[in-house]
Amino acid sequence: MSGELSRLGTIAALSFRGSLAGLRVVGLTAFAAIPSLIVLALVSARPPSGTLANAALGLFPSLTLPIVVMVIVLVISIAQFRNEIDNETLVYLSDRSVRRPTIVVGKYLGALGASLVLVVPASLLPLAIATVGGGTPYPAAVPAATAVAAALAAVAYVGFFLFLGLVSRSALVIGLLFGFLWEELLPLLPGHVPQLTLIYYLRSYLSGTLMSGPLSGYPTTTPATSAVAVLLAVAVAFVLAGAAVFRYLETAPERTSA
Amino acid sequence: MTTGVVEAQELTKRYGEVLGLNRFTSSITGGITGLVGPNGAGKSTLFRLLAGQLKADAGTLTLLGHPAWGEGEFRRHVGYCPEHSALYEGLTGEAFVTTLLRVDGFSRAEAEERALRAIETVGLTEARGRRLRTYSKGMRQRVKIAQSIAHDPELILLDEPLNGVDPVGRSTLTELLETLQKAGRHIVVSSHVLYEVERLTDQIIMISNGRALAQGDLHRIRALIDAHPHVIDLETGNPRTVARFLGEWDHVTAIEFPGPGRLRVRCRAPEEFYRALPPLVVRERLDIRSLTSADDNLDAVFRYLSEGGR
Repeated sequence: MSGELSRLGTIAALSFRGSLAGLRVVGLTAFAAIPSLIVLALVSARPPSGTLANAALGLFPSLTLPIVVMVIVLVISIAQFRNEIDNETLVYLSDRSVRRPTIVVGKYLGALGASLVLVVPASLLPLAIATVGGGTPYPAAVPAATAVAAALAAVAYVGFFLFLGLVSRSALVIGLLFGFLWEELLPLLPGHVPQLTLIYYLRSYLSGTLMSGPLSGYPTTTPATSAVAVLLAVAVAFVLAGAAVFRYLETAPERTSA
Repeated sequence: MTTGVVEAQELTKRYGEVLGLNRFTSSITGGITGLVGPNGAGKSTLFRLLAGQLKADAGTLTLLGHPAWGEGEFRRHVGYCPEHSALYEGLTGEAFVTTLLRVDGFSRAEAEERALRAIETVGLTEARGRRLRTYSKGMRQRVKIAQSIAHDPELILLDEPLNGVDPVGRSTLTELLETLQKAGRHIVVSSHVLYEVERLTDQIIMISNGRALAQGDLHRIRALIDAHPHVIDLETGNPRTVARFLGEWDHVTAIEFPGPGRLRVRCRAPEEFYRALPPLVVRERLDIRSLTSADDNLDAVFRYLSEGGR
């Protein structure tokens, strides 16, 4: 068991390191900085302190969570398998004596760690800048809730996108369609349809955790604890599904020559 | 019943409409075995099947008695050096080998010790701290070989391992493979550069269009060739006279006139032809200026077999 844990840790560390290397991390870091840059621009306009605080906080559900966090997690997660299958580095892991589910879980943990390194600061820095620039601190529950929501988003989205990267060669396109159509449009539909999206549970968590401000008041019937449970369950389900798929997946890139 | 370290029976792999392997059957018993064939012949497909990257569409493939498709502890006894040069670019050479040993279940201390030893074996000690993205093609080949031998596997699969390696490196790696063989390791090595394999072993499998054309030592394959028409080119001042004499021999199956002063003879018993020709030339005072034949190296053997004996 300790041997398998050691292998898991090695694969997670390898994935974490690979996710935060090269030009990709430069691009993702720049992308993660967008909310902070917007808040910096707002600070330079010297708005009233309360307006600045609300505007900075309002970016989280409208920009940071549905776009910045989602795209960062998408890029990192899909690279775990899809890129490694396409450039054939995955064989260095898959031809070893390690069990294939261990590879999937290790890559999940590595991708999650790398995502958290980017999305948690992307969520908190705008609030910190608004606080410094406007002089009005947020209640401690606000940055805590945004950080947890960003982390929960990473937990669930990494699981889903990792799975997507395993089963589809068009994972990036499908992931973007999922992020910008499924996650954005379905919540606008009436009835229980919004419950088919992950963003619904993230907003439910925020709404259930914070009693006032731009992050509260989301029309939801799901308590925060249930929302967290659903997000965790989604992550576990997709990791398990990924592990099952990977056991039977050919990992050589598609080609037509021998 | 499986007896070889690698056993392939009627192995077929398709890429859509393209056949990567076509009912490939072979048994590799041990030592160094060369898998020889041109690019696209199916060598890498076979290696990917052996590495568990691909699943066969039909037939069976075992290595060390285990089905090649699927995970298992037996993979700790197999080392694989892929043909492609992709690596985890952000890692150093040392970290690359150490990490893969850790994935194989070795403790940190043992992994580090083994990695250093393997890196030294392939002559990369000085470059071990450099990131892989800075490695030359030859260095990349060597670090791939290092990761394939670092865990001391029983069976080592090397797909075009000498590709891109400089002459000194080739010599070093050739010696390394011989050392590993002497240590009881089984090695399957592929190449499309035939003399490389010829230098390593005379146990060869010739593959073309996804099929095993021939298997055995070079002399057996040579005998196989001798069972088929053998092409001999002659330059002579009097082709028609020479052709008349040669045409009387039973083992000569065809005579062509490819150009002025030239003859191409196809015969089924080349050794008999070479034995009988000099007395004929002396007796009939024939003017034969040169005689060329497919030489006895692997290249000629392969060309002959891959063309189906035409």
